Amino acid sequence: MCKGGELARQSVVIRLAGESGEGVISSGDILTQAAARGGYWTQTFRTYPAEIRGGPCMYQVRMGQDRIYSHGKEVDLLVCFNQEAWDLHWDSLAADGVILYDETAVEIPAEFRDRARPVRMEKLAKEIGGSSRAKNMVAVGAVCGVLAFDTTPIEELVMRRYAHKAGVADANIAALQAGRDETADLKGSKEIAHPAEVEEDRVLMSGNQAIALGAVAAGLDYFAGYPITPASDILEWLSAKLPATGGITIQCEDEIASLASVVGASYAGAKAATATSGPGLSLMSELIGYAGMAEIPCVIIDAQRGGPSTGLPTKTEQSDLQHALYGGHGEAPRVVIAPVSVEDCFWATVDAFNYAERFQVPVIVLTDQGLATRMEVIPAPDLSKVEQWQRKTAKDVEGRAKRYELTDDGISPMGLPGEPNGQYVATGIEHDEWGHPVYTPEFHVSMQQKRWRKLDPLANGAARHERYGEAEPDIAVIGFGSTYGPVREAIDMALAEGLSVGAFYPRILGPFPVDNVRAFTAKASRVIVPEINFTGQLARLVRGEVGISVDSRAKCDGLPFTAEDIHEMITEAVR
Amino acid sequence: MSTIPAQRKPNDYKSDLKPIWCPGCGDFGVLASLYRAFAELDLDPTNTVVVSGIGCSSRLPGFVTTYGVHTLHGRPLPVAMGVKLANPELTVVAVGGDGDGFAIGAGHFPHAARRNIDVTYLVMDNEIYGLTKGQASPTSLTDQKAPTTPWGNLETPLNTLAFAIASNASFVARGASFNTKSLTELIVQAIEHKGFSYIDALSPCVMFNNKQEAWKELVTDVEPDHNPADRVAAFDLALRGGFKLGILYRQLRPTLDEKYAALIERTPESDIGAMMESFSARKGTAIGKPIV
Repeated sequence: MCKGGELARQSVVIRLAGESGEGVISSGDILTQAAARGGYWTQTFRTYPAEIRGGPCMYQVRMGQDRIYSHGKEVDLLVCFNQEAWDLHWDSLAADGVILYDETAVEIPAEFRDRARPVRMEKLAKEIGGSSRAKNMVAVGAVCGVLAFDTTPIEELVMRRYAHKAGVADANIAALQAGRDETADLKGSKEIAHPAEVEEDRVLMSGNQAIALGAVAAGLDYFAGYPITPASDILEWLSAKLPATGGITIQCEDEIASLASVVGASYAGAKAATATSGPGLSLMSELIGYAGMAEIPCVIIDAQRGGPSTGLPTKTEQSDLQHALYGGHGEAPRVVIAPVSVEDCFWATVDAFNYAERFQVPVIVLTDQGLATRMEVIPAPDLSKVEQWQRKTAKDVEGRAKRYELTDDGISPMGLPGEPNGQYVATGIEHDEWGHPVYTPEFHVSMQQKRWRKLDPLANGAARHERYGEAEPDIAVIGFGSTYGPVREAIDMALAEGLSVGAFYPRILGPFPVDNVRAFTAKASRVIVPEINFTGQLARLVRGEVGISVDSRAKCDGLPFTAEDIHEMITEAVR
Repeated sequence: MSTIPAQRKPNDYKSDLKPIWCPGCGDFGVLASLYRAFAELDLDPTNTVVVSGIGCSSRLPGFVTTYGVHTLHGRPLPVAMGVKLANPELTVVAVGGDGDGFAIGAGHFPHAARRNIDVTYLVMDNEIYGLTKGQASPTSLTDQKAPTTPWGNLETPLNTLAFAIASNASFVARGASFNTKSLTELIVQAIEHKGFSYIDALSPCVMFNNKQEAWKELVTDVEPDHNPADRVAAFDLALRGGFKLGILYRQLRPTLDEKYAALIERTPESDIGAMMESFSARKGTAIGKPIV
């Protein structure tokens, strides 16, 4: 990865900021999609207030000719819709960063004026479209001018989106061109290298969308959910799309009903899932224990957000890790998977369904607000590589199936309603092999062993984990989930500096890959554990499971790490 | 009454497990009525699922030979919904007690009703918590004494029949464990009803709230001239109380699984390949809200 001026040429960081509801998010979406259409790799990051309208919001787009793994730190082009946007974001500007601002709304200090350009966002939008609604298009046009970015893909998008409203499309395109003219004197001052022509199939999507697609690819039959930020768009997308595959999506009265109905659907043989965020996961805890005890496959997506309680609904955090691993009374087995990127959101979801079906357990997929909502260009997942594992039912059993038969691998035949030899009562009460309630010490011990034994293959190598840099480094970085991108870029920087550094990202955190982590850290003088929470949950997990000492680098400011943050940690570790 | 001779007998639905209930418990009468109703309908045990919550009465699935789900306290209805939507061919019966259904599980009841899930919900109502030894329940009477209301219940009981009608349940009836003939017939009609059918079955707890003799005195049949299609009349009947046994309300409207089947039928087919294509970086259109 390149630094300083070189970085600016290969990729550009654009930040749009303003009041929620005045077009910041839509401007960012348009720019992102236009960049993707133009053949650039992109990644985005956004913050927005929990309220529908009002409060500061920000949308950062990073685009470049090479694959991008993080959202970037220093802003090359800052677009301020209002004064607050300037006040909040001026200190993120790169030394040569350019500022575009609405001339009527923002006062730029004298020392920045030589690289700031007023754009008549509000005025031009009103002149062209009769209202301030097209302000976002003026802003996008101005950005395109500075980047020397061809506006054709945007015009195509506008035509498509407003195909049924010719006047609206024309006004938007006029606003776009007017915006571009506003920055004519800066034209190309932040020009980025044109991407190479590639035949590779790429897609642009968010983590949530990748999860929804992964679920469909895995064979999802039934989805139930309750609206919650930042997971709602999984429910929304599947509500629109699942019927086309013959599946059902239902909005329930609460998260308890969501998971309860998923358990019911799965009992009847459906591949079933729900999606939520921290508060919903809390409500689902009792049912996760039930699904573990009754051995009913189900998939639970947890797009983590800032906690505790209502917390920071629109900000990112990785603070549900311990809850996902251990939440609920008693000790119920479950698998916890943490995808490391938007691309991995797709594959982790496919894995989640397969593990749920094969091992007859609840599987929790942990993402977070940053990963769930960021738009990213990724190579199109190769659908021919998608496997669909099926659960073991009573179909192949001769005679009456023993639902909770004590087998070597712990997996027993699960009779599905309709199968003539499979009748049983699924129950959360401790039971014998037939499912009949039994409370003897013998059965509680042997059934707990059976339920947990099912997960052994995942702890012992069946799972794919993410590694980057050296395999046995001096400075070892261990993280989970969305922090992988900036860590990967930081490791590139550190390797270029000649350091011995590498990262290990367990994609499966429960059961924890103890042997893999031990091998990875065998030669390490320092083990750094960056994570976005207050108490250092992964650091505690590594210490407890592997028995090594680690430097917890936890932070809980609601924002993702940048590559520079991680690079600094690595540099400090060397000193 | 079905005119086709049933092939299966009530005993065919009896499992090897002996009910855990106290001698004389009303739930025996409800279970006997359920066996008879299943036999009368000649239900295939492999295509029947009995779902329950937690409590004395919720142990019922263990005593029948069908498929069963003994869920969590208060959660039989959403689980039953999932079972039915995943496989609409199944006959799904949810059972439980008044505490399970109307205290911890009350939040699910109106939604099951308004969605018109095609599930029969049979509540064994003893106006008390039996399993935990006699505490007051949402249907306990005002001034009733119980371990948690030693000075008498300060609260007003929930009128579950009125709650059901107000929630748009499409079949609402009351039966009694000590009147198995009419309860059997109510269960048969409830299962045959397409949509959400709720039966409040008076089922006395002989240990902690034995009202069997009192209830036997109080119950009367719903008047023959009552029109179950008249929702206002049904609501009137429910609000007046008076222990009327029979069908208070019955309405035919499409069930949730029928509506989903129709939605799937009219939605043009698609697959993961086409969905992925809509996200294509070069030509995708999938940004923002999905376009339906």
